[in-house]
Amino acid sequence: MKKIILLFSLILSFSAAHSQMKVGANLPDVQLNSNQDTIVNLASLKGKTVLIDFWASWCAPCRLANRKLAPLYNQYKGENFEIVGIALDTDQMKWRNAIQKDRLTYLQLIDPKGFDAKSAVLFGVEELPNSYLFDTSGTLVAINPTVEEIIMQIKK
Amino acid sequence: MKNTNLKFILIACLVLIASVKSYSQISKVEIIATGLTCSMCSNAINKQLKATVGVDSVSTDLNTNTFLVYFKKDSKVMPRVLKEGVEKAGFFIGSFVITMPVENLKAASDKTISLNGSTFILLNEGPNGSTGETKLKIYDKGYVTQKEYKKLLKMFSKVASYPLENEDDYHIKIII
Repeated sequence: MKKIILLFSLILSFSAAHSQMKVGANLPDVQLNSNQDTIVNLASLKGKTVLIDFWASWCAPCRLANRKLAPLYNQYKGENFEIVGIALDTDQMKWRNAIQKDRLTYLQLIDPKGFDAKSAVLFGVEELPNSYLFDTSGTLVAINPTVEEIIMQIKK
Repeated sequence: MKNTNLKFILIACLVLIASVKSYSQISKVEIIATGLTCSMCSNAINKQLKATVGVDSVSTDLNTNTFLVYFKKDSKVMPRVLKEGVEKAGFFIGSFVITMPVENLKAASDKTISLNGSTFILLNEGPNGSTGETKLKIYDKGYVTQKEYKKLLKMFSKVASYPLENEDDYHIKIII
């Protein structure tokens, strides 16, 4: 019986995940490993303005974008703002090296299965970089927001 | 319970191995994509290849822009279909390598192999008695970079069929 339920929930999650997450959706209940070797649940970040940023060490445009996110985080981290980087790298070493090289100080998580990663499928990530901005109530307010849009959301 | 599970897995493995050995089709294709600055930053090629009829699974090496395409049993997918898929996704092919059982090549006395209505023309020497799987690289237009193709046109100027760009003729070299 348990197996059947599991199977159904799997099928459901796959069929539901076919499209991209829509504005108005809630911060999902997803657990991933961080570069500090802790487990972080995205839903636990509710209460803050959260930017979830999908990237990978092999994605040059992502690395460029991250370099803009790092100072943004440093400037606004005191204002109830959090950035979560989710890397789709399959090679953990390359991921860790990229974090170090680009001096990324914000929360870094990994879902090491490329585009087939559970979180990538859940959010409907089809290309990188891809970011999702959630407000303090944990509701998705913008997909691929500009830096200005993020600052406006923080100041709301 | 555990024992029966183990047996089942063993049998499944054996069946799998046997089935892989028994079919003499193209078993695997390795595609390196080019075209945009970050081919791998898009899931489009992956999705397009996976959606191709006859394709069983696609595994990607995200660090090298490489797609490994595995086929279903008795699949008759020809390289052209995969090439069109990659192009449809908005990318180009930088390298296209087929894996095929050696038996298919033995028939090639005049350096041509017919398979599912397509012709494979060997540009180098045939297999030297090796057994198992052989890797073949396609050198036709669209299967190598534009720049490489221009060079190859000169290199293979003596091969009459090469500049014809016939879609169902594949000019190949054995690389392993």
